[in-house]
Amino acid sequence: MNEAAAVLSVQFADHSDRPRFGCKGPGAESWLTAQACRVPTAPNSATVDGDGVLVARLATSEFLVDAMEGGDGRVAAMRAGLADRPRPRQVYPVLRQDQAMTISGTGLAGLLRQTCGVDFAPLLELATAADGPVVLTSMIGVGVVAWPRRRAGSLAVTLWCEPSYAHYFWNTLIEVGEGQGHITRGGDR
Amino acid sequence: MSRLPHIAGEVIDRSRTVEFRFEGRHYQGYHGDTISSALAANGVRILGRSFKYHRPRGLLSYANHDVNALVQVRAGERSVPNVRADVVQVEPGWDISAVNTRGGVSSDRLAVLNHLSAFLPVGFYYKAFYGKRLAPRWERMFRNLSGLGCVDLSAGRHRTPKRYEFCDVLVIGAGPSGLAAALAAARAGASVLLADENPAALLGGSALYARGGEDRSARCTQLLIERVRAEARIRLMTGTYAAGYYADHWIALVAPEAMVKVRARSLVIAQGACEQPAVFRGNDLPGVMLATAAQRLLYRHAVLATRRVAVLTANSEGYAAALDALAHGVELAAVLDLRPAVSARSRRSAEALERRGVTVHVAVQPIEAAAESNGKLSHFEFSHGTAGARQRLELDGLWMSVGFAPANALLHQAGAHMAYQDSLGQFVPSELPERVYACGKVNGVYDLAARIADGEDAGFCAAAAVGFGGARARLPAVAAEECPTHAYPIFAHRKGKEFVDFDEDVSIRDIENACREGFDSSELLKRFSTLGMGPSQGKHSHMNALRILARVRGEAIERLGTTTSRPMFHPVPLSHLAGRGFTPERRTPLDAEHVALGAVFMPAGNWRRPEYYQLPGRSREQCIVEEVAAVRTRVGLIDVGTLGKIEVHGPDAAEFLERIYTSRFANLKIGMTRYALMLDEAGVIIDDGVVGRLDPESFYFTTTTGNSATLFREFGRLATWWRLPVGLVNLTGHYAAFNLAGPAARAVLRLHTTLDLSDAAFPYLALREARIADVPCRIMRVGFVGELGYEIHLEASRAREVWRALLDAGARFQIRPFGVEAQRMLRLEKGHLIVGQDTDGLTNALEIDAAWALKMDKPFFIGQRSLRILEGKPRRQRLIGFRLQPQAAQLPKECHLVLDEGGIGGRVTSVGVSPTLGRCIGLALVAPNIATGQRVRIRIDRGEEIHAEIVRPPFYDPGGERQRLAEPERVGEPA
Repeated sequence: MNEAAAVLSVQFADHSDRPRFGCKGPGAESWLTAQACRVPTAPNSATVDGDGVLVARLATSEFLVDAMEGGDGRVAAMRAGLADRPRPRQVYPVLRQDQAMTISGTGLAGLLRQTCGVDFAPLLELATAADGPVVLTSMIGVGVVAWPRRRAGSLAVTLWCEPSYAHYFWNTLIEVGEGQGHITRGGDR
Repeated sequence: MSRLPHIAGEVIDRSRTVEFRFEGRHYQGYHGDTISSALAANGVRILGRSFKYHRPRGLLSYANHDVNALVQVRAGERSVPNVRADVVQVEPGWDISAVNTRGGVSSDRLAVLNHLSAFLPVGFYYKAFYGKRLAPRWERMFRNLSGLGCVDLSAGRHRTPKRYEFCDVLVIGAGPSGLAAALAAARAGASVLLADENPAALLGGSALYARGGEDRSARCTQLLIERVRAEARIRLMTGTYAAGYYADHWIALVAPEAMVKVRARSLVIAQGACEQPAVFRGNDLPGVMLATAAQRLLYRHAVLATRRVAVLTANSEGYAAALDALAHGVELAAVLDLRPAVSARSRRSAEALERRGVTVHVAVQPIEAAAESNGKLSHFEFSHGTAGARQRLELDGLWMSVGFAPANALLHQAGAHMAYQDSLGQFVPSELPERVYACGKVNGVYDLAARIADGEDAGFCAAAAVGFGGARARLPAVAAEECPTHAYPIFAHRKGKEFVDFDEDVSIRDIENACREGFDSSELLKRFSTLGMGPSQGKHSHMNALRILARVRGEAIERLGTTTSRPMFHPVPLSHLAGRGFTPERRTPLDAEHVALGAVFMPAGNWRRPEYYQLPGRSREQCIVEEVAAVRTRVGLIDVGTLGKIEVHGPDAAEFLERIYTSRFANLKIGMTRYALMLDEAGVIIDDGVVGRLDPESFYFTTTTGNSATLFREFGRLATWWRLPVGLVNLTGHYAAFNLAGPAARAVLRLHTTLDLSDAAFPYLALREARIADVPCRIMRVGFVGELGYEIHLEASRAREVWRALLDAGARFQIRPFGVEAQRMLRLEKGHLIVGQDTDGLTNALEIDAAWALKMDKPFFIGQRSLRILEGKPRRQRLIGFRLQPQAAQLPKECHLVLDEGGIGGRVTSVGVSPTLGRCIGLALVAPNIATGQRVRIRIDRGEEIHAEIVRPPFYDPGGERQRLAEPERVGEPA
């Protein structure tokens, strides 16, 4: 099959059920460090440690912690610890019940161009499996955290959005994806 | 037929014929023909009728700007109005007709209007509406007569998904300068997007068709095109025009299939210039056209639209057109130069023409073009100077080449400053915004070599500005050899009909009369005369109108300024503007539960909420009445998860709330809640909610459904502005919330919690954190609907467990889930206002009797200063309650007017028939004098009036005993 005739594909994977939480406040960074997390030094960047714990720095003192491959137990434990009273000083827990999903495939670029005003191409070029920028932006009218990354050798974008948008967000992206080519959808991982 | 033998560069495929119909007659063209070129090849001159006078019109610009060439196309089941015949390729089987005719283009019955022009002066539309009595009649007539084309209401939805594109350098226009700019930027290393309105086969701009009888310019440009196509860093978008510029270099490109929003780091505008008509009597007759239109037809489609022509000119481009005409067998009657002498740049061409027997007249003063009885051009009269003898040329075509207007709309939109240069007869950029460049004709550069050099320079600079190649300043513009545009190609005739604007039939006299009436600025003139407001958006009329205006006012053109250029620069199909509709809809975590319970949904802000729950065999009204009754007599459960839910943390959290809300929160006890009212700086009510204190440094509070996102952003801004180090957490979508209300609420809740619900342990307005059905929850005892009630907030992911547990526990009390309609009635019975419905954008807190919620002795809250000023002034309006007699037959609706003596005294804001009270009750915003009375007059449907009694809310349980219900009630238990 020549390239022109190749059918593009888009894969959607839902990660909403993974454990995750957020924290913010002047003490958040040191608390995360004390939990043995790798904390990105710059805002709008993310890093995943060897245990599969993602820490995304969304602002100077605001973080999103999510379980990637293998990180469920540690993230759940940290979340429970933060919920206990008394709380760590100047650390404010943030409940995160996000719709979380990863989109990948050869039709990814086309899908992103129809849904978001951010140019992901240079970000995807620089992306690695463990570290990279995160983008706080609006996609199809919904505020999202977007993490362009390289997954199993291919380019992908993981997205988090408020759960009340989940139905609209998932279905609309699927609809746009169908316009790009063949789609597959899956559950976690 | 007017088709010529093969011409190098033609884009028609002579092996593929296309059969179509126009105005009921059958024609044949070739694949690659536009509708206009195919008709011209068949000798069809009259394509449409003018908008106002219904004069016959033919090709003018053949450049996608022509109002004369808008047609209705029927293709199978589809019928599409206002198809641009100049650019749309004709397809087999199309049935095409002119727009704006009554009885067809050749026998339009409304042509009679051409003889009534004396009764249709400038500003006629506006003047017609001066008098009230005849206004409806005029309106009907205008609506009947105006409008172009016929919309097919049965047309299906045409999906046109928009998309974003990004590039280092966006070049708009693929003429010689644009091509050169794109190549230069790409060679510097930039990623380049090159957009051109023409299809791929027609790139190259005027260099490919304005040849002067040679092919040198075409070959040179073709070479550039080949280089562009071979350059990997250049992406080419053809058939795509730039319709608008927006801040930060966002450009709206309209591609054939969709709108493309381009973010360019650097921008080069090379959109060229639009050729302008001369203005003389009869300049709109079919056969009178711009020279570039004739050249496009010639070189793109091998069509000679006219056989015996004269070229009316004031520049070298006109002489080039004359040479093109001669080269293809046109009988050239004369070249008519408006200038006093042939310019140095034109001399060579003039000599070549004269050698071939063509007479060149100079100092030509057009008098008029006249038509045969069929409306087509028959002859042209002129004189040499104003005193010269009158001469007459028998013609079927007059090509006009008297000047250009730069296509600088995007430059204007980008914020460029323009200066009028007399030496060029056009505006050129004098100051450009950062990373915006102009080159070619739009920059006042007309010579081919100079355009290419100008483009290269612009491309290099555009790339350098974003880090590719060394930074450099723009080279100075090369001085023009001649002025390409005549200073005043406008020739009034005592009988008028010299058209400045072909879209709206605006003549010289119309402009002069508008100035006499005081509409003598470019902006006022445009609006009064409708000049430039038609489909071509002034591309052919704006500059000539400015010239007339300048002469009338005795001022320089530059002092007059141009009208504001706004996106879209060029008409855009509505389907493209609409694109794919992204309409976010939010759902609460209980949405599936509502579906299972038979909810009928309604939109509330961008949420979907149950309006009511449909029960079998019940009407909507019955369901709502029953839901209200369940809450008042037993227990109900409502999803209020759409409320904004926010936490604020930190040592200054209380101070933050003190500032944003009117109440006091520094003294709020831990575990208690308080009503919160939020104002803007003018004292206008913008939101309300409940604030609860979790610990000394943490509060949890709610906002109204529609405002939560906006307010959260505003809270962040205020915290930064005030430098209060608070931590704000938006839990709106991550938390669920529902309200359990009714006399049996305590009994239901007790079945699933170990929390002490006694009034002593959990009093009215208290907040507790406890487990319900083993799920951690925040519980607030609030009087949401005026009954004993518990508002339960918890993690969204566990909401269904608790919701189901409460419904199960409530079954023995005949619990009912209730929706928004029941909630509204329950709250109206309590006189609870809805911010944004019972208030408007001007309602301040003093007008709704909310003094109890205003702590004016606090050091500060937003709006406090304004309220202090307003306290000493009379009220503008008051919110009152009213009720009708039980069984009243005629009921008001929301927004019905409250009448004052001789006029409007206010409006009904909320109204409904209370099942609890058995009568209609409502709220209204009224003038203060009405509020002090006993009764109020309301005008209802069909203009009838009813009277209502003014009462002070709440209408139900005015003492509030029910929401403070201390002792458990035995209600609703089965016998």
